[in-house]
Amino acid sequence: MSAVAGKRLGPLLLIAPAAILLTAFLVLPYLNIVLMSFRMPGQGTPYGPGLTLANYGKFFSDIFYIQQVVNTLWIGFVTTFACLVLGYPVAWQLARGTSSLRALGYGLVLSPLLVGIVIRSYGWTILLGNNGLINRTLMGWGLIDGPLPLMYNALGIIIALVHVFLPFMILPIMSAIQGIDPSLEAAARSLGASKLTAFRRITLPLSLPGIQAGCILVFVLSLSAYVTPSLIGGLRVKTMAVTVVDALIDTFQWPFGSAMALVLSVTGAIFVVLFGRLTVMKWKA
Amino acid sequence: MSKPFFTVYCLVIYAFLLAPILVVVGASFNAGAFLTFPPQGLSFRWYGVFFNNEVFMRAIRTSLWIAAVTTVISGIIGTMAAIFYVQHSGKLKETVRIAMLAPLLLPEVLTAISLLFFVYSIGVGTQTMVGMIVGHVLITLPFVFINVSASMESYDPAWSMAAQSLGAGRFTRFRRIMLPLIKPGVIGGCLFAFIISFDIFTISFMLKNVGTSTLPIQLFDYLRTNFTPEAAAVSTCSIVLTLVVVVVSEKVLGLRIHRF
Repeated sequence: MSAVAGKRLGPLLLIAPAAILLTAFLVLPYLNIVLMSFRMPGQGTPYGPGLTLANYGKFFSDIFYIQQVVNTLWIGFVTTFACLVLGYPVAWQLARGTSSLRALGYGLVLSPLLVGIVIRSYGWTILLGNNGLINRTLMGWGLIDGPLPLMYNALGIIIALVHVFLPFMILPIMSAIQGIDPSLEAAARSLGASKLTAFRRITLPLSLPGIQAGCILVFVLSLSAYVTPSLIGGLRVKTMAVTVVDALIDTFQWPFGSAMALVLSVTGAIFVVLFGRLTVMKWKA
Repeated sequence: MSKPFFTVYCLVIYAFLLAPILVVVGASFNAGAFLTFPPQGLSFRWYGVFFNNEVFMRAIRTSLWIAAVTTVISGIIGTMAAIFYVQHSGKLKETVRIAMLAPLLLPEVLTAISLLFFVYSIGVGTQTMVGMIVGHVLITLPFVFINVSASMESYDPAWSMAAQSLGAGRFTRFRRIMLPLIKPGVIGGCLFAFIISFDIFTISFMLKNVGTSTLPIQLFDYLRTNFTPEAAAVSTCSIVLTLVVVVVSEKVLGLRIHRF
């Protein structure tokens, strides 16, 4: 009897630490954010006793916060689209290329992921600043008179975010294209389809799952990015994630910060679901 | 698109991916007091400043210590979960996979916020490093899980049954069948967990306690107010450290680290 019980329990003991860890430190704390967003703002403490809807009221009655969510979503959309356009050809080459560039390219796509995000964003401040490498070079060549506004604005944030998240777009698309049988394209070509038509009718639709995964990943990561927007945007342009973290860390507005974080997450999730539906419909059609 | 054009396009993207990293490394050898271009001569001046800066040196020690503790905990828990995952089939299997990858799929900033509230609500607060280490374990767990379960792709439960029928006990079966299989996965996963932990920002930022910052946090704080090339020297050392770990694992140990 006990031997049978031991046999049943044995494997469960293997998963138990991970299950306890994820339940206690991921599931419960996430639910706690929801609860926190309904708590009363505290006086001298992070939150007070009692529950209220006032945190959400405060958010939706202030055009400043709504504007900020819209800006953050906009930055997310542009970043995702730019990553897709820039990354797709690279993903295709990594999946189908025959040259020796392929192995090197794979390493080059992966290597930025091993460098901390603070360092990568710092690199962009050196490049984009008013006294940065790009502006200095252009002024040195006499192409511009004054520095171009590349930093402390949405453009700078988007450029740096595209860099930081591009590998997350390339890798899923690359594996999707690798899964497509090359003979399908060859068959289309032998039936008289041009290179472009073969790509448009065969490769592109079949790589949609990879595009979908990459877009969702990059969009969610851009919305929740903190380091890059705060180093590149400075105090002038703030994304929602930066405002949330500052509200929690600097001014200890835990209930309001939670409400802001949840509004951003739910809005982001709605767009992800909509995008998922849209691409699945297209895929089936 | 014609072929040469296509190749050039890809090269431009690779250059874009490498540019900010190369710029940081280049800036670290600037002899001037500020990040000026072109650099005012080459020197190791800022490396000297960095190595004598106790704030940064303490941050590096903190980071290494946290990464080491994280790697051990994450390595053990993640390996156990991966062994469970590979030996099981059915509905539970997919649930386990999604749950194990969840910390990777959820926004790090939300995980950080939730942990911040949590450590306060259970009365631990940020006085100890418990909260920070728990956060690092959560984030690195998926990488150990992916690497170990990938190393067991070829595992067949029949091997274990065959060994059992030949009289091998549970421990012997683990040592002679499972261990040789998962060893590269465990080492690869742990090395990657170490690198990830060393670079984690948001979780450390929200759960740091007064006076003890990890290297990324110290660098971030420094960058908000200072513009000397010292930050570039710090960054370059951090990049070199990561490179050494990767090269040692892939070239010397012959491991192929699964990143995703």
